Amino acid sequence: MSDGQIVVSGLTKHYRNVRAVDNLSFTVEPGRVTGFLGPNGAGKTTTLRMILNLVTPTAGAATIGGQRYADLAEPLRHVGAVLEASSAHKGRTGLNHLRVVAAGAGLPRQRADEVLAMVGLTPAAKRKFKGYSLGMRQRLGIATAMLGDPKVLILDEPANGLDPEGIRWMRDFLKSLAAQGRTVLVSSHLLSEMQLLADDLVIIAAGQLITQGPVDEVMGSMSGNTQVRVRTPQAEALTGVLAAQQATVTPGGDGALLVTGVDAPTVGRAALTAGVELHELTTERPDLERVFLDLTAGKAGIR
Amino acid sequence: MRLVRAELLKIRTTNAWWLFGLGALVMLALAFLVNAVNAIQLLNNPEDVPAMSPEQAEQVRAQADVVFQAANLYTSGQFFGLLFVMLLGIVVVTNEFYHQTATTTFLATPRRTAVVLAKLVTAALFGAVFWLVTTALTIPSTMIFFAVKDFDNHFGDWEITRALLLNLLAYVLWGIFGVGFGVLIRSQIGATITAVVLYLLGTTAASIIFTLLRVWLDAEWISELQVIVPSIASQLMITGTELPGSPPQWVGAAVLIGYAVVTGTIGTLIVRRRDIG
Repeated sequence: MSDGQIVVSGLTKHYRNVRAVDNLSFTVEPGRVTGFLGPNGAGKTTTLRMILNLVTPTAGAATIGGQRYADLAEPLRHVGAVLEASSAHKGRTGLNHLRVVAAGAGLPRQRADEVLAMVGLTPAAKRKFKGYSLGMRQRLGIATAMLGDPKVLILDEPANGLDPEGIRWMRDFLKSLAAQGRTVLVSSHLLSEMQLLADDLVIIAAGQLITQGPVDEVMGSMSGNTQVRVRTPQAEALTGVLAAQQATVTPGGDGALLVTGVDAPTVGRAALTAGVELHELTTERPDLERVFLDLTAGKAGIR
Repeated sequence: MRLVRAELLKIRTTNAWWLFGLGALVMLALAFLVNAVNAIQLLNNPEDVPAMSPEQAEQVRAQADVVFQAANLYTSGQFFGLLFVMLLGIVVVTNEFYHQTATTTFLATPRRTAVVLAKLVTAALFGAVFWLVTTALTIPSTMIFFAVKDFDNHFGDWEITRALLLNLLAYVLWGIFGVGFGVLIRSQIGATITAVVLYLLGTTAASIIFTLLRVWLDAEWISELQVIVPSIASQLMITGTELPGSPPQWVGAAVLIGYAVVTGTIGTLIVRRRDIG
């Protein structure tokens, strides 16, 4: 497998009454962290499970490095996946869990110790899984995924239930993996987290693709919504000046004005020319959360 | 082969195997005790038969045979031993769903047929180990018991060897049933309870139904049909001598093999198609 590109084409899954995933196509590039975003029930997990041959698609296909998952001779050496927080036998120790997986995948036994050290779980190696905290379970999941030193990492909601320390660790870890040239696909509904972590975004809702591209581009596509917040004791004078420049001015609620249609330098210059005193002048880019809600509006409901 | 090793490791790293093993050993001790008492009764007083129908009397006389009793003692504990082997087979499958490890297993091995085959082999191996341990205990126990009671232990007779070997086959096949059953009923608790109830009550219920049918239709061959019930087929396999009203031992083996092939095949087909999630 030369590169770790993931190609999803026309992927569709129908359950009895629901189109969980509907003709979904996107690509995931190596060397980058790709955030797979969507509201709960958008079909993220089903999509990931179809990529991994755990769920049979109704139509369409997904390939990893040009091959379907089922056709990979040594899948764990190519792809590592973290799907549920609690996917180990409760009565088995963390180390034994890794040894079982290594044995099944034909990987050397000492890989279990190595990946356990990699995620910092060595002190808990001989503790049973039921005694693990949620954060430790996530780390064990990542250790399992790293057993075969794969080129491609697929993670389903890895930040779920993690404390801030754990989220930070996860973010740094995934970024370092992408920096090594690996492909990292991370699903999440935590948008703020994706803003800090992802290079690319794939956003879906109701099983359909909403948009995909680099984070900046996705945000940029919404730049029409960029607004300028300005605070001034001479609100009426400024409103009049800006109205002449085709800008729309609305009260911001806390005494500030929200200006759309012109950028911040234009507002500042207009104020200077008109001799209007300014106390605040900020460009407000819409955060990912707003973009996300705008994009998926009306599609997130219960289906 | 590495999948079988992984499956064996899965069992060894959890508690189920020795709990079931312990259960089987306790039941083995009890069964041996009951069988021994029974043997003393029948072998010492073969003619001390209370009033009963001619067929029943014939049955009892057939059982009052040293070879029959020897085979019965050598294979003591089969009834519950098979139950525990089946439960182990069930757990081998249902654990994967109960603890959500099926995902990890099928990620490592997308060829699901291979995974099911490994589970079948593993359950069969464990059945064989259970047989080995129980037999290693019953053979010396029986020899000592017969020596004390001054009966010939008949060890080495073809009837006894056949009973022991067919008993091994039964243990192996019940491990396979367990896996098939676990695939059909994914819920660990559901599968376990259903299997235990079917095994314990089903055996008795089947006996009653067949007896009623035989009386109702007044046809002797009906009771020979009992062999289609797996647990009755297993019991038939380990009899040392042919009992009146029962088909020969190989029929029991054939019936069990049939069930094992059917449950193994159905289980494999289901797992291949099922969505994991």
